[in-house]
Amino acid sequence: MTDLSVASLLFLSATLLAVGLFGILTRRNFILLLIAVEIAMNAAILNFVYFAAFTGTPGGLSGQAIAVVLVGLAATEVAVGLAIVLALNRTRGSINVAEATSLKN
Amino acid sequence: MAVSFVIVGLLGTRLKRLEYGGWVAVGFAGASMVVGVLVAAAEMLHPGHYSDANFTWLHLPGSPGTFPNGFSLVIGVLVDPISALMLLVVTVVGFLVMLYSIGYMHADRGLPRYYAELSLFLTAMTGLVLADNLLEFFLFWELVGVCSYFLIGFYYEKPSAASAAKEAFLVTRIGDVLFLLGIFIYFSVYATSGGGAGWAASGFLFVQGSTPFLAATMGANTPLLTVAGLMMLAGAAGKSAQFPLHAWLPDAMEGPTTVSALIHAATMVAAGVYLLAVASLFLGFTPDDRLAIVAVGGFTTFFAATMAVVHPDIKRVIAYSTISQLGYMVLAVGAGFAMVGLYHLFTHAFFKALLFLAAGSVIHAVGTQDLFKMGGLRKSMRLTSIAFAVGALSLSGIPPFAGFWSKDDILASVYAAARSNPAYWPFLILAYATVFLTAYYIFRAWYLAFSGEHARDATLPHAHEGPWTMRVPLLALSALAVVAGLFAFAPSFASLFSIGGGSGVPPTYSATELVLSAVSVGLGAGGILLATALWGNGRVYVLAPDSTLQPLRTILLQRYYVKAFYDWVGLTLVYGGSRIADWFERYVIDGTIHGFERLGTASSNALRRGQSGLVSDYASYVVLGVIGLLLLLLFVAPIVLATVGVP
Repeated sequence: MTDLSVASLLFLSATLLAVGLFGILTRRNFILLLIAVEIAMNAAILNFVYFAAFTGTPGGLSGQAIAVVLVGLAATEVAVGLAIVLALNRTRGSINVAEATSLKN
Repeated sequence: MAVSFVIVGLLGTRLKRLEYGGWVAVGFAGASMVVGVLVAAAEMLHPGHYSDANFTWLHLPGSPGTFPNGFSLVIGVLVDPISALMLLVVTVVGFLVMLYSIGYMHADRGLPRYYAELSLFLTAMTGLVLADNLLEFFLFWELVGVCSYFLIGFYYEKPSAASAAKEAFLVTRIGDVLFLLGIFIYFSVYATSGGGAGWAASGFLFVQGSTPFLAATMGANTPLLTVAGLMMLAGAAGKSAQFPLHAWLPDAMEGPTTVSALIHAATMVAAGVYLLAVASLFLGFTPDDRLAIVAVGGFTTFFAATMAVVHPDIKRVIAYSTISQLGYMVLAVGAGFAMVGLYHLFTHAFFKALLFLAAGSVIHAVGTQDLFKMGGLRKSMRLTSIAFAVGALSLSGIPPFAGFWSKDDILASVYAAARSNPAYWPFLILAYATVFLTAYYIFRAWYLAFSGEHARDATLPHAHEGPWTMRVPLLALSALAVVAGLFAFAPSFASLFSIGGGSGVPPTYSATELVLSAVSVGLGAGGILLATALWGNGRVYVLAPDSTLQPLRTILLQRYYVKAFYDWVGLTLVYGGSRIADWFERYVIDGTIHGFERLGTASSNALRRGQSGLVSDYASYVVLGVIGLLLLLLFVAPIVLATVGVP
């Protein structure tokens, strides 16, 4: 673990976040959008894990624990997101988010 | 004694069972009459005895400085001489009227409502006379007011009855609100200064232990107390239909005649006089207050009697007569003879209830209230005609009928008061003039209804007496109307008229007073003779159309335009004011609100253009926002902090 510098690991996180954000901002397919959200979120979770590893116990354990909780949270988020996808597909026959604009009214 | 308190206090529970009908109500009214008579008898056996049973409902602790003594809200039952007297009147008349109702009301719908309301009224009225403090008094005062409203509006499907009920409620409400204000003033005077021996702190109790909490006689005018006394007068004027709050009582005749007899002749309207008597004993009136009370009473006496002279409706004639007689009582209380006023209240309750019930008997028989359609009823309704005549003689003040003693006592008392205070003279003269008018108008009514050969309107049904339930109360009240005035000559009964010193009851007859009596009897007899000359034997006196009295008659029939004035106040002042308020509300207040509303709509519409509804767009706004915040934090914040000098 000590081989890797904090900076390089944070660079990985930043890259993942950038990829996720790019996906969020450019994709129109709802499922791809969800995947992009997950990528961005994992960047944040990774940060918790790095810092936990570098801090050591006992502070490190709470970082690991938060990471696990966040993974669970991400899973539920995806579940909700997929439910929305299904509902959208049933009502509009398409999962293109560019067409789902009726909320503005 | 204490047992009868408890029983009387608990009589309210009888209301629960009224669905069973009139006889239940009659039974309970009879029971309360027995209790009332027992209480009065016990009070007579122990003259000047005060029994008070109460508990403190709420206690507010005092705070030093502004409110030193604290305040208690007390609910209790007090039997003192005058409340025993009032209890006697209320329960006896209440029972007789209730019994009469069985015959009179048998054909009506809504009888459970009628008996329930009448019983509620009796409960409230007994509570009123037994209240041991001013606030409890006010509570029951309002309760009898609302019962009066219900019962005037008993025939609520008739628009005139509904509006009469509303009028009675609103007009008495003016008096009630002023009465309440008066209580507030007394509270502020007695609770904050610690004066009045902490009277307000004890919850305005009328007794302290077993002695009455009598007010000191006030020789001088205190502005605040004068105002408070005037407020008491206003409350009494509203309830007892004194000028200028008198107009509701004639209209209240829209209710059943039994209600008119009980509430609007014998008991509730007398509550105003009772209030004045209680206030003069326990609160005290300043000399200015007394003059105001004398003025209101004396003027009303005459004013109402003039209107009775021309009216064609049998019930309204008696109603005006009631206002006029209440004026006598108010006059006596104002002149400083509260007990004499209550004496007249006592006799008046019986003979006026008698007149109303006799009139009710007539109305029941012929189905109209118009005197000019009746006539010749003497033959078919002998008992009623005699009962009405007894009531009329008593009202006219012809000895030895009850009304003579008390009315004469009032005139003699006011004469005595006028000798020491010349400002009372005009009102004494009005009171004497009224004796003449009274005898005239009541015998005019008698002649129109009972004398002559046959009814002037041939379409009226053949008249007959009512059932025994109607005849018995007429007989009982006739007997009382004859002898009630004499009761006061029994020393034990006269003790009911004494709280704190001389009462003036029963009347004493010195040489001056004999002359005064002779004058009043002469005036009464003159009135009767005039009525006989004009209306006797079925004659109808028609005023020539070009007579100079014709405009006067119009004014009287229009009731001095007081009603018109009420309407003018209502329509022009209140409605006009409301129109202005409405305009203000519509255009200024609503305008402002609508302005904000339009501003909100317009700005929302402007902002709405920026909404694409695209999720990606919102996400990019979030990202841009976060980047902007970061830039602020990293680059702008240090510069700002450095500038203001924070390291």
